[in-house]
Amino acid sequence: MADPVLRPAGIDGSALPGPYPVGRYAAGLREFLRERPRVQLFGEVWNLRLSRAKVYLELRDAQGALPCSMWRDDYDALQLGAGALADGAQVVVGGGLDYYAGSRTSSPAFTFAIGELRVAGEGDLLAQLDRLRKALDAEGLFAPQKRLRRPALPRTIGVVTGEGGKARDDVLAGLRRRGWRGRVVWAFAPVQDRHAAPRITAALQDLAGTGAVDVIVVARGGGSLADLFCFCDETLCRTVALLGVPVIASVGHHTDRTLIDDVAALSCSTPTHAAESAVPVHCTQARADVTALARRLSVHARRALLHRAQTLSRLARAPGEHVAGERRRLHQRLREMRASARRRIDADERARVARHALVLERKARAAAHDARGATRLNALALALAAHDPQRTLERGYALVSDRAGGVVTSAGAARGAGDVRLRFGDGAVDATIRGDDEHA
Amino acid sequence: MSTPEQPLSYEAATARLEEIIKRLDSGQAGLRETLELCREGRTLVELCASELDAVGRGLEELRLDELVARLQESA
Repeated sequence: MADPVLRPAGIDGSALPGPYPVGRYAAGLREFLRERPRVQLFGEVWNLRLSRAKVYLELRDAQGALPCSMWRDDYDALQLGAGALADGAQVVVGGGLDYYAGSRTSSPAFTFAIGELRVAGEGDLLAQLDRLRKALDAEGLFAPQKRLRRPALPRTIGVVTGEGGKARDDVLAGLRRRGWRGRVVWAFAPVQDRHAAPRITAALQDLAGTGAVDVIVVARGGGSLADLFCFCDETLCRTVALLGVPVIASVGHHTDRTLIDDVAALSCSTPTHAAESAVPVHCTQARADVTALARRLSVHARRALLHRAQTLSRLARAPGEHVAGERRRLHQRLREMRASARRRIDADERARVARHALVLERKARAAAHDARGATRLNALALALAAHDPQRTLERGYALVSDRAGGVVTSAGAARGAGDVRLRFGDGAVDATIRGDDEHA
Repeated sequence: MSTPEQPLSYEAATARLEEIIKRLDSGQAGLRETLELCREGRTLVELCASELDAVGRGLEELRLDELVARLQESA
């Protein structure tokens, strides 16, 4: 529908021409821009976005940037390999200025319409990032955060994120999934533009400075590497590296690895994952586990006491049983000893009787021998007695002996002896021999 | 790393509890040791339960400046 041709009055006192309808002016601007000379530009590609009809990107360098677009057909005709035109790629483009005038229902857009494109090489920003990464690594700044102890059950978690971003909700969702309902301290900061890095750095320092935060999550949703480049800031990364509180980074996605991912204690792919990592313990499960542990302890304690009670009871019975057993054993030993003694006594008695019998036998034999000897002696004694001179003297004979005691057995001897002794049965008398022939 | 002045951390407490249960389950602890381990274990359980309670009452959200103000008030 054509705009109504209602031209309002101009501004009082203004020396400028018009007023003109904006659409006509915008169309004029488009024609003006299209008439500008077509040129070649070079710079780094950022925020590359492919749509069905067109390819959009920003061409940047340190001094400025220009929004660019290219027809999708022209882009596809270049047959660039996958990833050749990633963010940060250095390119040379040929084309000219263009302007989409927009309408009542659509926004206008200024663009540099690319007709030709050549990839020139890796972008300066990525090269710079790579150099910084190597430098920080060489200084050992990737390690300090990883040496910090991360509490399994933090009471207070600091979160640095954009105030209106989805990351905030994701962090809370992650904490809820852990069953964690402690204290969250929000340190909101811009997370995209060139002012972001100093604000994030300050937020981290302030959070750590309170001394009340156990762990800090730095969270930002996905975005292009250009959007996330503030997290590659050298000052920010050095601050994180030397912070006394562990930092869990969740910036962008897997493919967009920023420097803060390297220096942080832990790098996660999503804010939700970062929140879960900040609370390694699943609190709901942990409560159940602790209850179960308490129960097991009680069971062990009861079992130990019961066991000891049984042991004591057994020990209490033990002395009586022990004494009874000893008594039984003693009685048994006593019986055995008695039996043994009896056997011994019988044996000894038999041996003693045998010995006595032997002795008696020997004595009997000796006595018998003696008896026989006595009889013979008596006989000999009788024989001797029969020949005893005394017996002859007693029968009236006399024994004549000289002075020397020698027996005088003849008359001649008697005469020669002169003095003799006459022994009779009842005694002796001395005699003198004289003329004895008359008596002969 | 904890020192005698610092309270035992939750993870240290749970690790010690695991050790205690393992020792008790082994059946090698005598009565005296068992009772001491149970006593120590109950203390650790109370500590863990207390830590879990501290992060179980309800989510509290503060902005950094509110935390700083609160800390300054209590200082």
